Amino acid sequence: MAKPTTAVRQTKKDEEPALKGTLASVFLLGFFIIFAWVSVYFLFLHRL
Amino acid sequence: MTTAVEKVNRRDAKLALAHLFVAFTALALGGFAGLLQTLVRSGKFELPAGISYYTILTTHGVLLGLVLTTFFIIGFQFAAVSRTTGTLSDGSRRTGWVGFWLMTIGTAMSAFFILTGKASVLYTFYAPLQAHAGFYIGLALVVVGSWVSGFAMFTHYARWRKAHRGQVSPLLAFMSVTNMVLWLVCTLGVAATVVFQLIPWSLGLTDRVNVLLSRTLFWYFGHPLVYFWLLPAYMVWYAVIPKVIGGKMFSDSLARLAFILFLLFSIPVGFHHQLLEPGISPFWKYVQVVLTFMVIIPSLMTAFAMFATFESYGRSQGATGLFGWLRKLPWSDARFFAPFVGMLFFIPAGTGGIINASHQLNQVVHNTIWVTGHFHLTVATTVVLTFFGASYWLIPHLTGRVMTKAMNRLAIIQTIVWAVGMTFMSGSMHFAGLLGAPRRSAFSTYGNSPQALEWIPYQIAQAVGGTILFIGIILILVIVINLAFFAPKGETEFPIAEAAAPYERAALALENWKLWIGLVVALILIAYTVPIIDIIQNAPPGSKGYKLW
Ligand code: HEM
Ligand SMILES: [Cu+2]
Repeated sequence: MAKPTTAVRQTKKDEEPALKGTLASVFLLGFFIIFAWVSVYFLFLHRL
Repeated sequence: MTTAVEKVNRRDAKLALAHLFVAFTALALGGFAGLLQTLVRSGKFELPAGISYYTILTTHGVLLGLVLTTFFIIGFQFAAVSRTTGTLSDGSRRTGWVGFWLMTIGTAMSAFFILTGKASVLYTFYAPLQAHAGFYIGLALVVVGSWVSGFAMFTHYARWRKAHRGQVSPLLAFMSVTNMVLWLVCTLGVAATVVFQLIPWSLGLTDRVNVLLSRTLFWYFGHPLVYFWLLPAYMVWYAVIPKVIGGKMFSDSLARLAFILFLLFSIPVGFHHQLLEPGISPFWKYVQVVLTFMVIIPSLMTAFAMFATFESYGRSQGATGLFGWLRKLPWSDARFFAPFVGMLFFIPAGTGGIINASHQLNQVVHNTIWVTGHFHLTVATTVVLTFFGASYWLIPHLTGRVMTKAMNRLAIIQTIVWAVGMTFMSGSMHFAGLLGAPRRSAFSTYGNSPQALEWIPYQIAQAVGGTILFIGIILILVIVINLAFFAPKGETEFPIAEAAAPYERAALALENWKLWIGLVVALILIAYTVPIIDIIQNAPPGSKGYKLW
């Protein structure tokens, strides 16, 4: 019983594509959003 | 998906092409108006013959924001539905033509009153500015025509579903229907203000108008409007681009889920355009801002899916390293390059949107030219470049022609010209806006106030950008006319990607329209019922109409 399950999981794992670049890209995207938002927020504080 | 015909039927193609023809005509005229605006705002040029700046600006906003987009989208969706769920029935096609002519007659009518200077009320037609009744009636016809076309798509889709019980509908058909449901629900608001408030008032049947109510109904429509523009671009990104690059769609179910989330969260959020409106309580603004931020979820899902599609394809071609996959993408294919540049511009565009919707930051940018810079990134770059990229295969597919190498090269140049022009124009609009420069105003030094003098270099940069963009408009028109009438005869593919994984059961659950439409209605009622009752019950005396031009 246990054996086939692991086998299935094994093949599934092999099929997962490597998406390191995607991970890095979404992080860069997130940092850009935060950077821009915070910049305008400081402008807002500055003008209060 | 074996049942899908590979080619759009010739008679359906005609219907789609008619829509594209009006769309590109609007682009030509509206683009010229845009050029004039940037020149006026630079301070170096004045409109001849006493033409008002607001006549030009209304022409530009209506033709590009409302006409170009709606016509392109409905034409594209008719083609997509016909391609994926089979030739339209004669009845559906005839209904589509009725919709087309209603929209076209309505557009001509509104354009007449704008160009004769009787409707310089801008594309948002805020009361108490009052246009000639013919302007509002023309707009109402455009909306009714779009409903008629929407029903043609709905009946066609329903027929497909009946014939294919238990099957997941083709992705592009599902997405087109989602977008038309969104459109139908949101245009009810604008139809209500136009038919019950503005038309009677402009005809003199009523004397006064509830300004806040009309603006609220407008923005109930105005925000989903931008998603109505964006979703067809996402259709191209999710369902077409993977095929164009030779890869597979990352996930079919993720795409469908993103569309349903857009449907749910793009409507009950109009107050984020009215954050500085004094007549709406802060609590309800807060509720709608929270709902607005929910839209970030499907947006980031889309960003992730695009990166993943590109990376998976690049790695399947042997790419290595963190970003090696970028080099494997087909950079010299305009069908890919134009939408890709559109995607890149969506990064600052979406970021700007998050800033606009944050209440405090909105006070920094509200009604400044920053906002204009923002939506020239979203609609006038991301959406429009994707539509251009789609036209490069859609038009030759529909006309039975092929795009030549020379035209493909011109299309690459067009994309670069647009990107450069927009970087200048939109970039300087953003910076000038942060320095307080107002949108929707011709050139003025405001009595040589030092603050207004600071804006002038940015305004000159806007005119430089606008001139480059106008060259971009000429290039796209050359390409489109070539593809429609002069390109060599032949077969062009309507590319549709396969999903990397087989259809999942989840996709079937996502077609539970009763559930989604029920949720849409519930969210709208939660977000709008109490504030609208308040706006009606506690209204100040209404306003009479003003014609300030
Ligand atoms: C040649 C290309 C273009 C140029 C030079 C241009 C220029 C401008 C300028 C200068 C304004 C703002 C003026 C002001 O607020 O005083 C403006 C507004 C606007 N533009 Fe464009 N634009 C171009 C293309 C587009 C495209 C392709 C779209 C839509 C798809 C678009 C949609 C709009 C809209 C909706 C407005 C707002 C009008 C209003 O505030 O009432 N523009 N444009
Ligand atoms: Cu909005």
